[in-house]
Amino acid sequence: MFARPALAAAWHNIDVAGDVPPLAFTMTDATTGKPVTAADFRGKLVMLYLGYTMCPDVCPLTLQNVATILKKLGPTADDVRLLFVTVDPNRDTLPVLRQYTALFAPQIVGLRGSADQLAQLARRYRLVYSVSPASKTHPYQVTHSSAIYVFDQDGRPRLLVPSLATTTPDLAGTADDLRRLLNQSRPGWIARLSQMF
Amino acid sequence: MTSHRVTEEASPASALYASGVGRVPLSRLATFAATPDQLVPFGIVAGGAVLAWLCRDFPADLPFWAPWEFSWVEFLAAALGFWWYARGVALTKAVERPSAWRHASFAIGVVSIYAVLQTHYDYMAQHMFFLNRLQHLIMHHLGPFLVALSWPGASIRRAMPAPLGRLVDDRRVLRVLGWVQQPIIGAPLFVGLIDLWLIPAVHFQAMIDHRLYAVMNYSMVADGLLFWCLVLDPRSSPPARFSFAVRMITVVAVMFPQIIVGSYIAFAGRDLYTFYDLCGRLFPSMGALNDQHLGGLIVWIPASMMSSAAFMLVLNNLRRHEESVPLPELSEEQRRVVVLSSRWTGR
Repeated sequence: MFARPALAAAWHNIDVAGDVPPLAFTMTDATTGKPVTAADFRGKLVMLYLGYTMCPDVCPLTLQNVATILKKLGPTADDVRLLFVTVDPNRDTLPVLRQYTALFAPQIVGLRGSADQLAQLARRYRLVYSVSPASKTHPYQVTHSSAIYVFDQDGRPRLLVPSLATTTPDLAGTADDLRRLLNQSRPGWIARLSQMF
Repeated sequence: MTSHRVTEEASPASALYASGVGRVPLSRLATFAATPDQLVPFGIVAGGAVLAWLCRDFPADLPFWAPWEFSWVEFLAAALGFWWYARGVALTKAVERPSAWRHASFAIGVVSIYAVLQTHYDYMAQHMFFLNRLQHLIMHHLGPFLVALSWPGASIRRAMPAPLGRLVDDRRVLRVLGWVQQPIIGAPLFVGLIDLWLIPAVHFQAMIDHRLYAVMNYSMVADGLLFWCLVLDPRSSPPARFSFAVRMITVVAVMFPQIIVGSYIAFAGRDLYTFYDLCGRLFPSMGALNDQHLGGLIVWIPASMMSSAAFMLVLNNLRRHEESVPLPELSEEQRRVVVLSSRWTGR
């Protein structure tokens, strides 16, 4: 656990520093079609979100809000990535995922994992997801969590953003929080080296 | 000492044959060979290791009964508890063995605690508040209640490895347990733990942080066992530390705070437990408030009904105790004054 500075100003979102494990996953990047891990995103501020491209409301609303926040950040938005992990990999093929994320912002990366990779990620961050194919009694149903985790440039958990799928999204507050995280100086090379062991 | 020497001689089997030292008597080799008793714990650990590996690498391919998040503590406690109980019963003289209903009570108790913690039910309980309340009801009330009712201590103690048995019998350990297991501490602890983990901020932390989640679950199971063993002790005092009357008062006393907290949650007009909204509800068709109402009802009604059930069981223990004690020689005058349960039980 990381000690939290007592006098630091409050965040606009939920502070989860030290509450969940550091960012870790192995999935396929929809843009390149190659496997990626959390290490490939070191140095970027990472937002982690679970969704699916055929989502009627929550996902497009959330991604639209993320795109707005990224615009607010200006050029520094290049140091941010939103990982859009599909919970419906059967229908969300890599090309579908690539086209979908491109609709919102260039910093949004579509990720597709095997069933095990997805389960490992969901379990690690206590996120819910389920897909039940259509049957006689109900249509094709997909369930996923709505919050976004934010990890800093070293993959450490920092925030949980709760509001972006609600009717009152805190766009300014979230942009503030991201700016604050981007401005925090990165740890020195000794600290970074020691994290490798 | 002897067995140590045999080990040295016998360990490289090929060398043994090559050098023609086949003269080690077979009987001595037999003492070295492991008996099923010694093999089972290894089997349990090996089975746990396989399960841990499968859970880590293939979470999506496992059936519902497999763990969602494997826990060595929970797995070993259940498996070794079972094994030591079975061994202990086998080591007990036939006439002193617990009856079949006590075996059943123990088995259902342990299996139910294991089932809510080490199967995919755990995943469901992480994503619906009312399922989480059901999980707590089973691991703090129903499961430990059934285990205590089977009164398995003597059987388990009989089969425990000697060092662990010595630890359990250690005076310092007993003193701590004795302190916790007195009504004035045990009852507030029982209610306090339920309430502690239900404080919205604490609940959020416990649900999101794996480590705190484990602490929550361990504390609930351990406290449940301590409390119900205090209440459901079939013996009278002494050797039990508290009279049946004190235990009846204790079990009724814990009922009211649960009713208050349960009804508060059931009637709350706003979402107290935001974790489930953020990390997702498994049944999205159920709204936050509905989920919360149902969860509150579970804290309120079945949890306090357990107190009524326990009250009647303590009353029954009292009756059995009275019946086992020979009636004192009383004069007709004394008989009219003394209070005997046989007057209303008709036995």
